[in-house]
Amino acid sequence: MINLSNSAKKCLDEYLQQIRTYLRGCKTVDADEVERNVIEHIESEFESATAAVSFEELDSVLQRLGSPRQWIPEEELPWWRKIIFSLRTGPEDWRLAYISFGLLIAGFIILPSFIVLIPASFIVARAALAEAADPNELKSQKWLIYPSLIIVYSFVLFWLLAWPAFALSTAAYEWERDVRSSYPQFADDLHYWIMATSFIIAGLGLWWIVLAGVHLKCRRLLQVLFKPFAGWFSRKWALVLLLIGLGLMVPSLGLGIWYWFKLGIMVLVIDNL
Amino acid sequence: MDIRLFNNWSTQLRKGMLELCILNAIKDSSLYGYDIVRKLRNIEGLLVTEGTIYPILSRLKREGFVQTTIKESNEGPPRKYYELTTKGKEILSQMNNYWQDIKTGTDALRREEKL
Repeated sequence: MINLSNSAKKCLDEYLQQIRTYLRGCKTVDADEVERNVIEHIESEFESATAAVSFEELDSVLQRLGSPRQWIPEEELPWWRKIIFSLRTGPEDWRLAYISFGLLIAGFIILPSFIVLIPASFIVARAALAEAADPNELKSQKWLIYPSLIIVYSFVLFWLLAWPAFALSTAAYEWERDVRSSYPQFADDLHYWIMATSFIIAGLGLWWIVLAGVHLKCRRLLQVLFKPFAGWFSRKWALVLLLIGLGLMVPSLGLGIWYWFKLGIMVLVIDNL
Repeated sequence: MDIRLFNNWSTQLRKGMLELCILNAIKDSSLYGYDIVRKLRNIEGLLVTEGTIYPILSRLKREGFVQTTIKESNEGPPRKYYELTTKGKEILSQMNNYWQDIKTGTDALRREEKL
């Protein structure tokens, strides 16, 4: 038996205790055998020691021996320990992917906090993407980082494409209220809403033309914004968006102006009555 | 980026090489764990932590490539000696041949680079 100082003995006991804790429930590794291996290793190291082994001497041997965690075969770890193990020791791309997924799940479980946790998960997912440099390098990590990217991108894309419709609808309601307060006898709801809807669609079309123009001018903007999903959105698709925008705007604008005049005439008639 | 690639690559390479080196360390004579560690210590970059060899030895034993015997020691308590089984010798021979082929091919490529 080696002669250990009190502090060294305490240090060894703690190390062995940690090994036992890690190996609890482990089927293929015998904790007693591991303990014997560790003790045999330490005894061999200090075989020629004449005085009691100090804490510092033992600690340097334990440092070289490595963390108590390494005695568990990775395949033996329960799933939750594998995740923690990957977070603590895995390469950065895995660590970030797990954190991103963890934040997303937490966001769904702790509902009020999703406002903070889902954007946080998205930021970490983007960091994982940046770490990979080339998204094709990501393999299974995709399953961990893509969910939060898809959720946030879908939300951003929806608002990016549709915000004019919401803004103009709100304005149309406000305007209708003003018109009604000025002309209480004005009752032609249908004409008003055909005009308003036409202008809303025309506004939407105009916005899509602007978006297509921005993409044609600086092509990487959209690809960077929606990385890694916007790679397919080439110049050709920007032209398609431009044509759809034109297709929506021109007839809707025409229809809107037509009803604008009709309503104007009706207002004049009401004024003269 | 380059560091990450190197770290991933060297970790994978080390995992495979460690098994080969452990088996080679005990190919001629039985050794106890610490003796194997001492032999492998001399190979630069192979052992990140010395404790990694014990779980590998346990696994090799479980899989029947290595067997152990407890021998009395003059210096202290009985020690566990590891030696190759017949199955272990066969797999080591295959592994050494495989490694030699890869090393020869890699060296040839590196020589071409220099030309």
